[in-house]
Order: sequence, then C-alpha cells, then structure tokens
Amino acid sequence: MTPSPMIQLMKEKAEAVQAVVFQIGDFKEAVTYTIDLTKRQNGRNIAAGGLSKDQEDALREACAQAHLTLLPFPLRPHANKIHTSLTLADWGIAETGTLVIDSTKEDIRIATMLAEIHVAVLPASRIKPDAEALEREIDGILKKDAPAYLAFITGASRTADIERVLAIGVHGPKELHILITG
Amino acid sequence: MIKTPSDMKSYKERIRKALTDPFLRSALDKFNTQYRENRPRIYAGVDFEGIRDEIAAAKDDALPALMDLYESFKKHAEASGAKVHLVRDAEEANRTISEIARENGVKKIAKSKSMTAEEIFLNDHLIEAGYEVIETDLGEWIIQLRHEGPSHMVMPAIHLSRYQVGDLFGKVTGKKQDSENIDKLVKVARERLRPAFLTAGMGISGANFALADSGALGMVTNEGNMRLVTTLPSVHVALVGIEKLVPNLKSALRILKVLPRNATGQAITSYVTWIKGANESLSSFSHRKILHIVFLDNGRLAMAKDPIFSEALRCIRCGACANVCPIYSKVGEHRYGHVYIGAIGLILTLFYHGKESDRVIVQNCLNCQACKSVCPVDIDLPYLIKKTYRLVLDQENRKPVKNLLLSRILKNRKLFHFLLRRAYLAQKPFAAGDTVIRHLPHFFEKAHGFRSLPVIAKTPFRDRWKRIAPKAEASGKTVALFAGCAVDFIYPEQGESLFEILQKQNVGLEFPLDQTCCGLPAMMAAEEETSKELARQNIEAFADVKAEHILTLCASCASHLKHNYPKILGDSPEVKAFTDKIIDFSSYMINILKVIPEQFLPSGKKVAYHAPCHLCRGLGVHREPRELITVCGASYVPSKDEDVCCGFGGSYSVDFPEISSEILKKKLDNVEASGAEILVTDCPGCVLQLRGGMDKRGRGIEVKHLAELCAQSLKSSAT
Repeated sequence: MTPSPMIQLMKEKAEAVQAVVFQIGDFKEAVTYTIDLTKRQNGRNIAAGGLSKDQEDALREACAQAHLTLLPFPLRPHANKIHTSLTLADWGIAETGTLVIDSTKEDIRIATMLAEIHVAVLPASRIKPDAEALEREIDGILKKDAPAYLAFITGASRTADIERVLAIGVHGPKELHILITG
Repeated sequence: MIKTPSDMKSYKERIRKALTDPFLRSALDKFNTQYRENRPRIYAGVDFEGIRDEIAAAKDDALPALMDLYESFKKHAEASGAKVHLVRDAEEANRTISEIARENGVKKIAKSKSMTAEEIFLNDHLIEAGYEVIETDLGEWIIQLRHEGPSHMVMPAIHLSRYQVGDLFGKVTGKKQDSENIDKLVKVARERLRPAFLTAGMGISGANFALADSGALGMVTNEGNMRLVTTLPSVHVALVGIEKLVPNLKSALRILKVLPRNATGQAITSYVTWIKGANESLSSFSHRKILHIVFLDNGRLAMAKDPIFSEALRCIRCGACANVCPIYSKVGEHRYGHVYIGAIGLILTLFYHGKESDRVIVQNCLNCQACKSVCPVDIDLPYLIKKTYRLVLDQENRKPVKNLLLSRILKNRKLFHFLLRRAYLAQKPFAAGDTVIRHLPHFFEKAHGFRSLPVIAKTPFRDRWKRIAPKAEASGKTVALFAGCAVDFIYPEQGESLFEILQKQNVGLEFPLDQTCCGLPAMMAAEEETSKELARQNIEAFADVKAEHILTLCASCASHLKHNYPKILGDSPEVKAFTDKIIDFSSYMINILKVIPEQFLPSGKKVAYHAPCHLCRGLGVHREPRELITVCGASYVPSKDEDVCCGFGGSYSVDFPEISSEILKKKLDNVEASGAEILVTDCPGCVLQLRGGMDKRGRGIEVKHLAELCAQSLKSSAT
C-alpha cells in the first residue's frame, strides 16, 4: 500500500525532528509495538492516556502477559517513574509533523510529559495539512467557557542551550514514536 | 542584578575584554554566519515578506485596542476559573506575584523561561521575599547558578562554553563532568531538576500569546520544562507583557509560522501549548489548578499610543536582531543590551529600565539594516534606535559637542562647504603629497589607526562641474546627480567617472549646486531638526531640475533620501516626486540604460564585490551591481559574506574604532580569500573604509567604486 501524500508528508516531517514513525493496521499492533519497545529498553511499566475502555483492557491484558505494570490512575503518584506512555493523538499536522493532543485531563498531561518514551497513536483520517486547517476544531476546544490544556507536540523534547549543540530529551520524553493507523 | 555601564569609558573597557575572549568571538561569529546561511532553507516555501506584512498590520490594529482585548481575555479566562490581573509596573508585578505565593503557602517556585520576568527582576524579588526559586530552562538554570542575566533572548547561555558548563555542573553535583559530552550535561539538568517540578508549590511561566476571544494562553517551547511547570505544582502564575494580547487563534497561528523559524530555525518548536483556565490538578486541595495571569504594563500602554515607538511593541521576542547584528557577533553577550539583548534591546531598555542603562549602549549601532531585514514584524529597528538615542538626549537635556557642531554647520551649506575646503589645507602636513593619510596626527587614539584616511580633494566635484557642465550633450535622457558629501569633497573622481559614462552614452547630466549633505549623519547623531532642515533644502534644490532620475553614487545617501525623507518630512506629493526619482548607479546602468557587454572593452580582471548595507538592504538592490561587473568585461569572483557590513557606518567608525576595525578585518580576509585583484562597491563610505583597510595591508588589492570600473572599460558610443 502506498501511503497518501499527506501521510507521507506527516511521516517525513516528524522523522526530520527525530520522531520514529510507523504505519500500522490497528490499535492491537500499537499495543504489541509498545510492549516490545518497553521490554527492549528494560522498562518496567506503561502508562495509558486517553484510551477507550476497550483499548485500555487490551493493553492491560498484554502488559500482564509481558510481566509489565500498567500504571493505575491517577498517574500523579507515579509521575517520576513512568517508562513508556501510550496515548491517542487527536489530530496530526502534516506540514510540521506535529501531533495535537487534547491534554485537559491531568493523566494525559502526566503521561505525555513525564514518560521517558512517548508512543502516540494517530488515525490517518485525522491528519490535516496545516495548523490553519484545524482552526475550527481548536477554537471549539478553547472557546468553551471551561478549562483546557491543548498540546502541539513535534518530536521529542530538545535543547541547544549549550554551545547551540542539539540535544534530545531534556525535561520531556527522550523519544517520540508515532503509530499511524488506518 | 544586571549592571550596564552608563559611561562610555567603562563600556569600552568591557568591549575590549569581549574582543579578546576567543571562545565568545568564535562562538558568536559562527552563530551569526550559520544563522544567515540557514535562513533561506528554513524559509523555503514560506512567503516571509507576505506574512511579515500581515503580522505587522495585525499588530498595529491590535495595539490601540489593547485594553479592549484585555477585557475580553479577562472575561473568558475568569469564566473558566483563572484570575486575571493587570499591573502597572515592575514593583506592582513583583508584589502581586509574591502575594499569590504567600496566600497559597508556597515555599518553592519552579520557573520556566520568561523575558518578562527578567525585565522586572522577579527572581531577585522572590528570593529576597524568602522563596526558593529554581529556573528550569537549561540555559536559564545555568545562568541562575552563575548569577548572571541572559545574554540572548532565546539562548540565554550562548556566551558560555561546554567547559564552563561542565565545570559548573561538576560543582553542583559534586561529581566531575565530561564536558565533551553535551548530551550527558543535558541529562544532568534533567535529573537534577526533576525533583524541583515535583516538589514546587508554584510554577511561573511567561506566554507568547494571550488570545482575547477565548482567554487562552499560547506558549512556544522546546525543552518540556514549561509543560511541567504549568502542570505539576498546584499554583501557576503566568506573567505576560500586555502587548502579547492578540485577537484570536488565527493571529497567533500566523505568528507561529515565523517565530520558531526566526528564533531557532525550526518550522515549529517541540511544544506549542494552549492553556485556559483552572485545569484539573490533583496537587491542589480543590483538584483544580490555581491559575493567575498577570499582565504587565510597565510603560507598554503609553508606548502603544506613541506614533513612533508603538512599532517596537510588535516585537515577538525571536532574538533574530541579535543573531544577524555584526556588532553583537563581535562583542555579544551582555554588552549588546541590558536585559533585552540585540537591536530591540537598545530601544526597549530606555522604556523599561531607564536612560542610565541605555545611554551608552544605544549609541552602538552601525545602521547597517541587518536587523531590520530579518525582523519578522517589520520593526524599523535602526530608525527607532536613533529615535531612542534622541529621547535619551532629551531626557538628559544635553547635547554632545558633536550634535552642536552638526547643527551649527550642516544647516548652513555655504559654511559647511567652506569648512570642507579649509580642511583640505589643514590636512596637508599629514598627507605628504599622497591621496591618503597613513599616520594619524597624535591627537587621535591608537585605536583609529586601523585604516588610512583619504585626504579631502583639492578641487571638489562641484568646482569641477562648473568646468565640464556646459559640454554635456543630451540625446533624450537626462539624469540629475545627488553627489553626497563624500563624492563631492573626497572622491570627486567618482563623480567624473559617472560623467564620462553618461557622456559616452549621450545622457545629459544635471548637478544642482544648492544640494547639500543628505542629512544621514545628522540623523545618526539623533540631530533631528538638522536632518529635517537638510531634507528640506535638498528637495528644494532638485525641485526645478528636469531629469527623469536622481542618481546617487552613494548607497547610504540613496537609501536615506528614498526611505527616510518621507518619515522626516511627511509623505507629501512634493516629497514623493523627489523620492520616486532616486536611483542607484548600477540599477540605472542595467535597468535604464540597459548596457550590454559589447559596449565595453573586456579587462578580464578578477573583481570581488562588497554590497553596501544601504544598497542591498536599504534599497533591495542585489542583482544589478553583480551583473554590471560582468557586463563591463570584468570577471566577478564571489566572496563570503558580501552583504555583511564593512564596519564603516559613518561616524560609527570614529566612535567605536575597536569594533569597526574587527568587522573590517573579517570583510577584507574574505575578499583576500576570493583571489580578487580588485574590490568594487557602490558607496563612497564603503570605499573609504575598505580602501583604508586594504592600504594598511599593502597587498595590492585595489578598491574602486563600480562607476570607476565601468568608466575605464566603456567604449565611446560614437564608435
């Protein structure tokens, strides 16, 4: 299957900022990917963020089989020891390889900010060409008279504060993996 | 607390120290070069100028309505559980934030990067009030540990080497660090600062946008610390300059297209975060975040109403004006600004930190236009710097001797020209029959000896004109020459070269004798009344001249006449009739006379080109001079950084010879490396600087005005 130009651009731009991008079939493959990745890095646990009940059950079962801990909610007490987080992305922005994640729930924030490794699942149908194409959706979230925390995430956390040398993994995740489904 | 010298003597001492710091010199030089080289790639496919104009226009619309935007923001933010404050000045901001900390029983505060917090010296205040404050941005943490201020708006520790950071982290951790391994040094910060996020009672951040129609804040970051600072502690205080208010998401997304590109060369930063209201937070008793948004006025609301300086409030803090500044790349660090660094810093310092901190640094500008050309919100930085200098002088109610002289002499053309003729006699003993002065009289400081100086011509162009004028025979086209002081009195032979070319092309030449100095030197010295008077005199001098174009051989005059006259005199039809006619030499040759190689005798000489600041950036002329070199039969050899300033800047090279000579050195090194036999440029000021420097080197590279190169090889049209 040849990916659509938009998926191709999303992949290219995300890889340009050191994200690891794969196209996969369904969520089950994402679970397998996350478990393998965690075990390969000798991680002990996984935190979920924003998954549906079914997705969470599937992850729990797979974790149990692989002898990994699926961290219970709320995540705050475990904030300092999360190895991998598996979350859903609400949208993708192809032009810059960006994930848009509604992080209004504190658990999603903690999972995406404090994990060593962040794995995000992005449905191909939710990839938009640029940020402007998401204006209505973002405004929909921000314009409600209710609290909101919305994140654009592009690659892993980075700095060039020492001699302008790029270093990956400062305070946020050291790796970002994007799994495009559908 | 940052201390910026308020007297020139101590400032110069600091500059001399910077010029001898090898790490700083090479780091900043490399940065400047790489930034400029990467820019075209970063902006590939993006209409920089189009977006820049849109942002500038949108900012100009928003600034007069700041209070309306504020009210709208407050309504929406408070409806979602935030508390919004507007504070008048630094003192009130510090008090308010410290009060919020006290009310919430906070002991430890984790901070993410905020220039606005630097502006009000928030850390000093909070530490004095008994709080523990930890900077969590890597660069900010480093300079906090070193008790320094930021040396760049985006890269606050750019002045430090990996070894300095390694030693520092060694002391902090009590363990020797491998300075060569920057990745590991970064991980030291990750490990050391993690507990700070988890145990702090309050987080303080800045914000890049405040969206008026939703009450949300937008933050543009890379390291991820801001996300932790705004998530983990129970209290979040966002300190925001009130000019960060924008009407809506659309305006913010437009700025987001250029901010990361201009700041760090990224299409987008790792994180762009939109925060609204009291989000869920299990760290707080109510399970809701306690969010306070503190908008800082500190003179901004008054500035927004100022017809001239409101432009400075468009600034989105990308830091690019420092990145491309040839002076910053030489003296860098804290020597090119107070809290805010770079060209914008020379302006804002007066407004936010007062004249004492700005009075000396504001004079350190070459007017090379490099900052203006990269500014993503189109602030006329060099112009505002001069306006700021004028405000400083007005506030201090004093006029330097230079200004008194400029005003007395320049306004009176006959007196000015009389003095120039007298100068010819005065310099005679030093010139020793030569066209240059190699050894300056002893009353000059040693620092001025980096170049030979030209002698004032015995017969200025205006006197030669009287002899040659009647012979000109026009065949349709007529052009008027605006000579400028340098061509008229120092290099009349450049004017004669033009005359020769025009004669061979059967083009008539007019030279109105009432023309005088263009007024740029007066503007550079913030002598506004004088520059206005000179502008008026020149427009009058050319009012009755029948010519389709007014040609100048001096790029600085041309750019000043064309772009600053409307600013100085207002945009009247009379001014427009004058400015519309202004054209530079090579544009006239290539686009109007449409000269072709067949009209020239090829010399085949290898010729390098220096692009005068006011030609390439001032007038936007890039192609024509290079094309003309080839058309006139020479072999154009490109050299590195052709469009970087030569360090002349008029009286700048006299006021700051140490910096001027360093900039010139790099320029001449690049020209020598190109293998050129001749260096041409199209500005007599640049000729003065470059020829003076080349003469001192004595390696035989000739420096010429492009008109001289052309005149030599142009065949007579009669043949």
